[in-house]
Amino acid sequence: MSFRKMKRRTVLQGAGATTIAFPLLEEMMVSHVLGASSQFEKSPPVRAFNVFFGLGVPAPLQAEGWQGVLEPLKKISDKLLILRNVDQVRCDESGINAHFDGASGAFTAEPPNGEAKSGGASIDQVVRRELYPGGQPVGVVPTLIGGTFFRRSRLSRYVHSYNADGTVAARMQEKPRDLFDRVFGVLAIGGKDESARRLRLRRSVLDSVVEQYRFYIGNRSPLGSASRSRIADHLDRIRELEQRAFSMGERDSKAPRLPPRSQVAHGGAADPGGQGIDIKLDELTGEWRLMADLYSLAIEMDRVRFGSLTFLAAGERLRVTGDYHFDGKKVFQFDDARQLNASGDKGCSHEWWHQFHPKKKNEALRAHAHMKMREVAYFLERLDQIRDPNGRTALENSMVTVSTESGDGRHSNVKRELSGVFHAISEANGRFKSGQILDVDAEGLDVYNTMLTAMGVEKKIGPSDREHQSIDAIRA
Amino acid sequence: MESWIGKANATPGWRSSLPRSWRFPLFRCFFARCKLPPWLLLTLFFFPGFSDAEEPASRVRAGLQVLFDFSNRDSLIDSSGMRRPVEMLVETPDTVRREPGFLNFNDRSVVRSKTRAVKIHQSCCWTNELTVEVWIEPADDQQKGPARILSFSRNGSQRNFTLGQDGNCYDFRLRTTRTSGNGIPSLSTRPGTATKRLTHVVYTRSRNGRAKIFLDGQLAAEAVVPGDFSNWDINFRLSAGNELSGDRPWKGKMYLAAIYNRALTSREVVGNFRAGNQATTPELSTVAGSDQDRFRDSVAPILARHCLECHDEASQKGGLDLSRRVAAFRGGESGQVIKPGQVGSSTLWKSVQSKEMPLDRSPLGDSELQALRKWIEEGAAWTVEKIDPAVFLRSRQVDDRLIRRLTRDEYISSVNSAVGIDISQQARKWLPKDLRADGFDNTAYNLNVDLKHVEVYSRLAEVIVQQVDVEKLSSRFVSKQDLGDSSQDELISKMGAWVLRGPLDAEERFAYLDLGRTVRDSGGDFKELVKVLLEVMLQSPRFLYHVERQKGDGNWWPVDVHTLANRVSFVIWGSPPDQELFELAVSGQLEDPIVLARQVDRLLRDVRAESRSLQFVSQWLNLDRLDNLKPDPKKYPDWNPRLAADMKAETLAVWREVVWSRGRPVTDIFDADFTWVTPELARHYGMKGFSREGLPSPFRVRLEGAVERRGILTHGSVLTVGGDEASMVSRGLFLLNDVLRGVVKDPPPCVDTTPVATRAGLTQRAIAMARIADRNCGGCHARFEPLAFGLERFDGLGRFRPTDHHGNELRQDGKLRFPVGKGPTPFKSSIEFARLIAGNERTAETLAWKLTQFCIGRPLGPADNDRISGIYREAKGAGGTYPQLIRAILASDLIRKSRTVPYPKQP
Repeated sequence: MSFRKMKRRTVLQGAGATTIAFPLLEEMMVSHVLGASSQFEKSPPVRAFNVFFGLGVPAPLQAEGWQGVLEPLKKISDKLLILRNVDQVRCDESGINAHFDGASGAFTAEPPNGEAKSGGASIDQVVRRELYPGGQPVGVVPTLIGGTFFRRSRLSRYVHSYNADGTVAARMQEKPRDLFDRVFGVLAIGGKDESARRLRLRRSVLDSVVEQYRFYIGNRSPLGSASRSRIADHLDRIRELEQRAFSMGERDSKAPRLPPRSQVAHGGAADPGGQGIDIKLDELTGEWRLMADLYSLAIEMDRVRFGSLTFLAAGERLRVTGDYHFDGKKVFQFDDARQLNASGDKGCSHEWWHQFHPKKKNEALRAHAHMKMREVAYFLERLDQIRDPNGRTALENSMVTVSTESGDGRHSNVKRELSGVFHAISEANGRFKSGQILDVDAEGLDVYNTMLTAMGVEKKIGPSDREHQSIDAIRA
Repeated sequence: MESWIGKANATPGWRSSLPRSWRFPLFRCFFARCKLPPWLLLTLFFFPGFSDAEEPASRVRAGLQVLFDFSNRDSLIDSSGMRRPVEMLVETPDTVRREPGFLNFNDRSVVRSKTRAVKIHQSCCWTNELTVEVWIEPADDQQKGPARILSFSRNGSQRNFTLGQDGNCYDFRLRTTRTSGNGIPSLSTRPGTATKRLTHVVYTRSRNGRAKIFLDGQLAAEAVVPGDFSNWDINFRLSAGNELSGDRPWKGKMYLAAIYNRALTSREVVGNFRAGNQATTPELSTVAGSDQDRFRDSVAPILARHCLECHDEASQKGGLDLSRRVAAFRGGESGQVIKPGQVGSSTLWKSVQSKEMPLDRSPLGDSELQALRKWIEEGAAWTVEKIDPAVFLRSRQVDDRLIRRLTRDEYISSVNSAVGIDISQQARKWLPKDLRADGFDNTAYNLNVDLKHVEVYSRLAEVIVQQVDVEKLSSRFVSKQDLGDSSQDELISKMGAWVLRGPLDAEERFAYLDLGRTVRDSGGDFKELVKVLLEVMLQSPRFLYHVERQKGDGNWWPVDVHTLANRVSFVIWGSPPDQELFELAVSGQLEDPIVLARQVDRLLRDVRAESRSLQFVSQWLNLDRLDNLKPDPKKYPDWNPRLAADMKAETLAVWREVVWSRGRPVTDIFDADFTWVTPELARHYGMKGFSREGLPSPFRVRLEGAVERRGILTHGSVLTVGGDEASMVSRGLFLLNDVLRGVVKDPPPCVDTTPVATRAGLTQRAIAMARIADRNCGGCHARFEPLAFGLERFDGLGRFRPTDHHGNELRQDGKLRFPVGKGPTPFKSSIEFARLIAGNERTAETLAWKLTQFCIGRPLGPADNDRISGIYREAKGAGGTYPQLIRAILASDLIRKSRTVPYPKQP
């Protein structure tokens, strides 16, 4: 399959798209966000992102190194540290579900605490809270969560940024247009021709609303801490609204256009009762790459410093068709339902993982896993094209974590479900090693807390009475 | 004086710890020196049953806001441990003598709090309840004024409350919305009750207005003081021994002063009296966690997780049932397994410590072993009736105090209620959909807010105010439409209380007044003022969230009357109180149980109650899933997407008829001998003899005599949970989880969960039986797959067929094993199966759990177990109908009270 490489600006000018209010893109490309530019010019900001892909890479395939399904990552291998044999023992209790329990553990180390919750904070959010206690600069979206996925019965299947109480750190943006709007949209409050007096009144309305929310998070609030935190989130959103509505200037007639309307299923239609959907490879990767482009553009313009991006959900059920190419060569022809000789959920690519056996060829699984690595690499390469003020790339400067749901899994006949889970991290501006494949043989929680320490974060995730084991092997 | 203090204080414990032969001489000695009333001392001494049985360990802690025991000569700081302590200043050191254990007030003493006593104001205004308690020894029985013993006031005529002595009686003045600013009329004890002896004086006032004065634990006066405390002034200070103005001195000794934000019961008053004037008050931390229970919180989840798979009431492997207290302590074939206090002799401990148990399963973790060991060492207290795996298996901390945003539906109904505008079209189009979590769309923790919400709330507020008929709306609240401060204040107070579903406090009013002045100063008119105010209110947290007071001492406190009205209304209608309910809350009449019960009945008769119940059943059964049903066209070429809507409508129509038209118990939906179908659905089901002509759509079909269909489990809406293949795993799990509230673990590692395909000679049942027979799988699969056997003859889309597409004959008999209880029950047909489900207590219990979860908007945890059991029992006793379930939920502490969040402990 030949995939047409999309330029960042091109994707924002989809045919037939509608112009929305988008302020001063060219200027912002240079100056980044309002209020953050001077700091940004001195040094790159602390950033942390989780990248998640569904269904995982069985441990025996990870052992093949760059020659196997990890091949697409090879081009950026010098920027990554591949961590093998990371165990999610905390999520690996008897009776867990490898998919959503395992996925919840990706950089939180905790199993879910409800259908729509993780058991604790994800490390990107721990870093955000600790290193930006007063909030991020004006114009930065506090947390951006996006993704292309089709399985949605449990939130931890596809969301990978969590607050300390396990609730999602932000709402999932699952369409390119939604993500675009969330990052770049200007919110028009009031009409264009409103008088200065009316605008002042509008300002007063918003000020008054803000004051009310401030009261409910203050010392005299009648609310407990969990509720105050929820109200504080609401206030953050109001401030964003306020900033976008009043501080970001006039609309620009040269504003870029919305990305094209999504052509793939979303919402309930994307997951009809767990039975899976049919999708062409081009449709899938086209949508994903648009998301990846938008997300990386947001990072480049310093509109986003924290969040997560998901390529396919944990336990994803898709019946994929289409030719799969890599490096100009056809690698495989996807046709899951036909190759599995089944329909419904039994005809989905998920079944290749059920059928995995280390002594077999596992061709279809390998092709799917390889394709996922290609798409993850696509996003990481985008980040590697963003040049930060210190001369290094956003991939090198940021703490980018790549993970998935299960490792050895039930299919490889090992004793635990969530041992050997695939992880990769970027060097985070010299904090971690790179260019290696490392067998860490450690619990995820220790790896994550070591990463937090390296990031200068004192807070630890996981049980407070647990003795932390530092995994120094990952640190530079 | 000093000598008796310690002894009086030690009385109860002292008596019981002595040999009886020693008691009398000591008692005689004590009696001579102690100033407690003789009748009490005699009672304590000669009626050990009375004293032993009711002997309080310490003073009552719950609700305590302020406590002065005067034990520190150097400072007068409230030692309640609740929030920032009230600190008192002695302004007239010459006339107030500080002694260890008491203050001696002489002429013209002034002792007052350094700052406003805000916490008394806030906590009592929340509850509309109060207890003021003092141990005093008046200098004489002539002082008048009344002479101020303890006062929360500004001067001689402005007070929130005052305890005084008026000659030889005690007098209590309390400001409410129905008494004067001076707290008149007051409540007084009869003449002669205030004497020079040491006296325990307690005033209590409950939210229903019942006020009492107790002297030495005995009721001395009683009256009704109507109204509430919403007119209390937050700026008043606390004073002792005089009015702040210095002109109402009281003379005497004060040994203790305490203020609670609730009315102590008579028993609690007696308890505090018996504890003496210097008994210790338990630390806040020991009380705030009173909901904690080691067995319930730590041990029961361990047993559920690791043991009950083999040792519950149904399995009882080795004759051991660890799900119930009596059976667990009785032990199994190998004898007693739990020996309280004897870890080394407890087989349960030895087997898990050695990892002999759980058999073929993961061993217990270190923290689990420690918890189990500690529990046995401490006496193995078993605090729950039974360990229900559904409650404890995936036990987790449930935050029951997280503020809940209005759902999209609640927002629409709240706008409609507040200003009479139907905003549903725009709100449904613009607002992000609320996502399902833990089975429902209104789960608090998942109702978070995105930028999109905030933007849309702002847009919608603009749209709404443009549509509002300002004149009509404002005339409900004010007669004068001008921009003067007093008119604005009246408008803000009344309109704000209505729109924001409860009264505004002074600060809120001032904030809105500021906004009003901005409008006025910028040349705006009254119409613009109303619109601007509304625009802010519609984006206020008080409108968009269910804002309730949460801070307290960690205990359960009764909710205020407006919160109660809101809870009642949102539970029954999913929308705010209407005018009648709101006004009853404003007047305080809703506190009257009879009035409240009538209102609940009225709300339940309204069509909105029916609509709300349909939301519940839709979410419980996840009927919206049908909107996305896409069966394989090769397998189901005749599928028409309109059938999905017909299936949903069928289930809702049956619910409506059973619950609302017939007023039957809700469990009858599982055994309904009728249904409602469209001609297309009838044709899909293979029902003969129906055609479109002459029939409404949908139309009612009697199922009497039918051999296959009965109740909602045989509806296409439910049967489609099995997917195209009519999976017994999926259907069984649905029945187990959502109908019978059972749980099973996910498959263990290394098990190939690839669904096995049917073929000629191999039915879904045969595949299920093979799984059940498998040593690794059967433990769990036996719990849910047989539940689907009664539905085997229905295909993936709910069509009845005696054979599958391979020609295999299908059965409909089986044995039904419920998640709790003994032995399986056989059934011969899907109709018998439906009857068994409908008639089982577990089904009714599950409905009570599900409905309660829906009503309170959060998942339920082990701490809720007893309350839900109470709801179930009460509703069942009253007939088990939907209205009875709702009444029972509304009568429970889950609605009537809030578990408060403790303030940080102050040093």
